[in-house]
Amino acid sequence: MAARILRLWALYATLDGMWIARDFRSFIFYYLADAVTAVASVAGVLLLAQRFDGIPPWTRDQVVFLLGFGMVARFVPDMLGNYNVLHISRRIGRGQLDHILVQPQPVWMALLTEGFAPFWGLLSLAPGVGLMVWAGQRMGLEATPPWLLAFALNLAGASAALTAYAALWGFAAFFQPRAAEEISGSAVDLMTDLKGFPLDALGPGLRTALVTVIPAGLMAWYPCRALLGLDHGIAALWATPAAAAALCCAACLTFRMGMKRYAQVGSSRYTSFGHRR
Amino acid sequence: MHRSDRAGTPASGTVVECRAVCKAFRQRQPSERPRDLLRNLLHPRFRTIEALRDVSFTVNRGEVVAYAGPNGAGKSTTIKLLLGMLAPTSGSVRVLGMDPVDDRTRYVGRIGVVFGQRTELWWDHPVAASYEWKRVVWDIPRERFDRMCGVARELLGVGESWNTLARELSLGQRMRADLGMAMLHEPEILFLDEPTLGLDVLAKRSMTRLVRQLSATGSVTVMVTSHDMNELEQLAGRVIFIESGNLAYDGDFASLRREFGDLRRLVLETDSATPPSLPGAELVGSHGLRHEYRLAGGGADVASLLSLAGEQCRVLDVETHRAPIDEVIAGIYEHWGRTRPAGTP
Repeated sequence: MAARILRLWALYATLDGMWIARDFRSFIFYYLADAVTAVASVAGVLLLAQRFDGIPPWTRDQVVFLLGFGMVARFVPDMLGNYNVLHISRRIGRGQLDHILVQPQPVWMALLTEGFAPFWGLLSLAPGVGLMVWAGQRMGLEATPPWLLAFALNLAGASAALTAYAALWGFAAFFQPRAAEEISGSAVDLMTDLKGFPLDALGPGLRTALVTVIPAGLMAWYPCRALLGLDHGIAALWATPAAAAALCCAACLTFRMGMKRYAQVGSSRYTSFGHRR
Repeated sequence: MHRSDRAGTPASGTVVECRAVCKAFRQRQPSERPRDLLRNLLHPRFRTIEALRDVSFTVNRGEVVAYAGPNGAGKSTTIKLLLGMLAPTSGSVRVLGMDPVDDRTRYVGRIGVVFGQRTELWWDHPVAASYEWKRVVWDIPRERFDRMCGVARELLGVGESWNTLARELSLGQRMRADLGMAMLHEPEILFLDEPTLGLDVLAKRSMTRLVRQLSATGSVTVMVTSHDMNELEQLAGRVIFIESGNLAYDGDFASLRREFGDLRRLVLETDSATPPSLPGAELVGSHGLRHEYRLAGGGADVASLLSLAGEQCRVLDVETHRAPIDEVIAGIYEHWGRTRPAGTP
């Protein structure tokens, strides 16, 4: 099974590479636009942190690390789930799930692999990693093996939280295909727009809401608090992966319910728009 | 064809079996009155649509079966049931000895699907890339893949568009590429849903010829839906008619013509613009000196009609031919429309 997943990822990576490099002008402008978007997404918070020498209790370097973490946490779902899980409501709402149902593989495997696009959004990975490394060096962060493990777990958790949250909303399209067609995109935007803010200054109610109801805080703020020592409890290191696991379970259950319903009512809508590239 | 990976599948016999299949959907029935806005929101009304009612049929290996019926009759629902995209409300669907929903993963590896209005090709990639995608996802052995690519290139003419982006193909090229791709894993059953929709006459003819060639091997079972009855008559030896969710007819086209009226046409070219009066023949129209009549199949004596016409004017030329199957079907649809009980969809 693992070999098949790797084979499929290789296939989709090839297709993604071919798409990105389909002609020189597209190639240049695609990455240029991507770079501008990446810079714009962090510019506001970065300038605030620079102007006020941090956003208490976060120092300027910690804010920079948080921004980098958020960018990388956003890149992973983009790399794995674009065109399917991250925008699953489109696939369901537009009747495009039928294309997956005629493939001789489990639906989860198709969803896990078909959106693999490693070249997509590559320019949000490089600045994200760059910001983290730069800030880490300035802070004198020691990347010990336990810390790296915690970092990887929290990064995976943050990415999984975004994916599961988008999917959870997206599965609403099983029940209301037309109304919920673009809902997972909106859920992703909601999470992404809020991911770069240190949320400490908010009241406890709002803070709780931003790690549960709208778990944007899980994308960077909460895991970075734990990783940068702003929250010393060991539980804080596990909170993001645990919350992501809970969200993934909820998404899986909702998906099963949705698929049962899909087998009963199917989809009376179909449009090919947004289906593959 | 290589069938080593299809152990347990009989070389002949039933491959599709629908038994007492019913499929019902709920359809919202909102009131149009503004004062009912709240009721529409909180307590919407629904009605149950029976898309299929107690439909039973079997298809044998190697058969080419046309599945036809007017819009909304239940054709697409049946195809979706056979593809495992939908589960029946009651009754059972077995294809290749499997339940298409429960055994979906194993099952879809042995069937091929072409939707006239959908494509499996990757839009921004050359056709060759889509074929390679199919090879990996379907896990097609290299030898079979190369051989079937050769078939697609030669038989379907896919070679000419091999390196063309799918979005730049003409509809005819796309359909041929889609059909070739559907055949890559050598499916045992091919489902074609409106495969010639939107195609011009030449492309339609080409597609029809290809499906006939494929079915001539006897190893591929084909189920095809279309509104073009002439095309279906050329393609299929058997037709299943579905009407308002009921199976209305299952047999060959010749029997269909006999059962529902084997209409024929008589065209007379005379020296008069006034059409001769011919009892037993219904005048369809006159164009100058040409007069076209509809004859009831079997009952009309053409020799007597010609003699009668000769008494009224001089007959310069005579043509007789069978009415197009479309006309027979239109007659059936009209008949169903008249006899359908009120309230049925």
